[in-house]
Amino acid sequence: MRVLVVEDEAALAQQLDDALTAAGYAVDRAGDGLRADFLMQTESYDALVLDLGLPKIDGLTLLSRWRQAGHTTPVLILTARGSWHEKVQGIDGGADDYMAKPFQVEEVLARIRALIRRAGGLASREIRAGAIVLDPRDARVTLGGIPVKLTSHEFKVLSYLMHQRDRVVSQMELTEHIYAQDFDRESNTVEVFVARLRRKLGASAIETVRGLGYRMGASS
Amino acid sequence: MKASGSLRSRVWLGAILWTLGLFGFAGLLVNQVMLRHPESPQAVHAIFTYVGPVATLAALLLLVGLIQVSRGMSPIAQLRHRLSSIHEGHARRVNGEFPSEVQPLVDDLNALLAERDRVIERAQAKAGDLAHGLKTPLAVLLQEAETAERSGQPQVGAAIRHQVDRMQRQMDYHLAHARAAASGAAPGTRCEVAEVAEGLARTLRRLYVDRHLTVSLSVATGHAVRVERADLEEMLGNVLDNACKWAASSVSLSTTRTDASLVMMIDDDGPGVDDALLESVLQRGVRADETAPGSGFGLAIVRDLSEVYGGTIVLSRSPLGGLRATLTLPSA
Repeated sequence: MRVLVVEDEAALAQQLDDALTAAGYAVDRAGDGLRADFLMQTESYDALVLDLGLPKIDGLTLLSRWRQAGHTTPVLILTARGSWHEKVQGIDGGADDYMAKPFQVEEVLARIRALIRRAGGLASREIRAGAIVLDPRDARVTLGGIPVKLTSHEFKVLSYLMHQRDRVVSQMELTEHIYAQDFDRESNTVEVFVARLRRKLGASAIETVRGLGYRMGASS
Repeated sequence: MKASGSLRSRVWLGAILWTLGLFGFAGLLVNQVMLRHPESPQAVHAIFTYVGPVATLAALLLLVGLIQVSRGMSPIAQLRHRLSSIHEGHARRVNGEFPSEVQPLVDDLNALLAERDRVIERAQAKAGDLAHGLKTPLAVLLQEAETAERSGQPQVGAAIRHQVDRMQRQMDYHLAHARAAASGAAPGTRCEVAEVAEGLARTLRRLYVDRHLTVSLSVATGHAVRVERADLEEMLGNVLDNACKWAASSVSLSTTRTDASLVMMIDDDGPGVDDALLESVLQRGVRADETAPGSGFGLAIVRDLSEVYGGTIVLSRSPLGGLRATLTLPSA
């Protein structure tokens, strides 16, 4: 799962980055509206944390621009402006959630998890695929009730595939959603992660759809 | 301020003195004519034998004079009326046309009112900038507190967190208050409740999407209050948010209009508040349940805002089982 943090206050952006990275997300940062717009046009994200008072282009303008262009990425507005007037504007502008500063970082993480879960059309907190259960709250994976130890990249691949259950995910898409932007990517590393996951979770856990990508079924 | 005599009595005194002066000259003139032409008293006598027409003409002149003086004074009364309608919030400026002596005064008054609006706006913007400027550093500080807690210094973390929480509450409270104090004075405001309520319901449904709450509104069009839009949003937003926080499945807002007020009733089907606590949850910083999220300032802000506008908020038991908040504001 890849998250874009749009926040002009460097210290706060760093703290959010740290917390999200620790929770198993690939994180990109944008310190102004132009950079955020550029990243949104060129990369793919699973969720956005958006400050409203941004240099160059303000957050609400960006948001309505993205929504008009058809981007459906869930957006959490995180702003100093906490009046109801501003909340209504934010939600009407296309935000999916709204938090006022100062905030608890656990609360931000919980809301991001909920946004990503809802965007994937999932109702419960835990995501299941056969005997595999993934709990995004503490980045835990169990197979038949027994905890499975995964590296952070393996977790990211599995988490993305499970959020996109029953859909074929191309190698390119998978790469985009597990690495932050400045990361040196090599497409064949995804194959390596998938191979390792199959070793740990069973060969049939992840299906290869020839020429298209990978798929995990709800009952695989 | 002390009045320095009545304008009307001075105008009357002037008119009477003029009349007396005219009498004097007319007497002199008639006397001279009669001296030079001994037959002329006959002519004067002939004119004034027509008692009816002469009396009628004289009465008519007196009446028209009276009307002229009264009309001359009316712009003053009109100005007073216009000013009081500004005071009561029906108008923002002194409207209408006035005689050339009064119009410059009216123009100056309007300029003064415009300047006052600008000053209030600037003060509001500054208060907002100050509060919002502090919030991001506070957010950073709060995260540092968490870091301290994780790295084995729980007392330091807790102390910072506690103080940040206090600062945040103070800012939220005074920010809402400053805005209300400023806008409560601004005249000529009118806000449709239905519009505001729909926006808030949309927002709350989204914010509480996981709770699957039913937020139902029954607000007639034309139900409006004499309150700044942002302030009504803040009041209704806080009350509805509180209702959503506690509701089991449904929240409702309905309005009724009485003579001069609009009554808004917000109900939820949550656990409600103990009767003994009903009054105290409207106090600053008191929470009915210390474990629930929120600053404990939400309903206190609503109470203070409503008072600025001459309204009230009362808590009671809801027919739905939870809490009923009854917010009453002057209707427009």
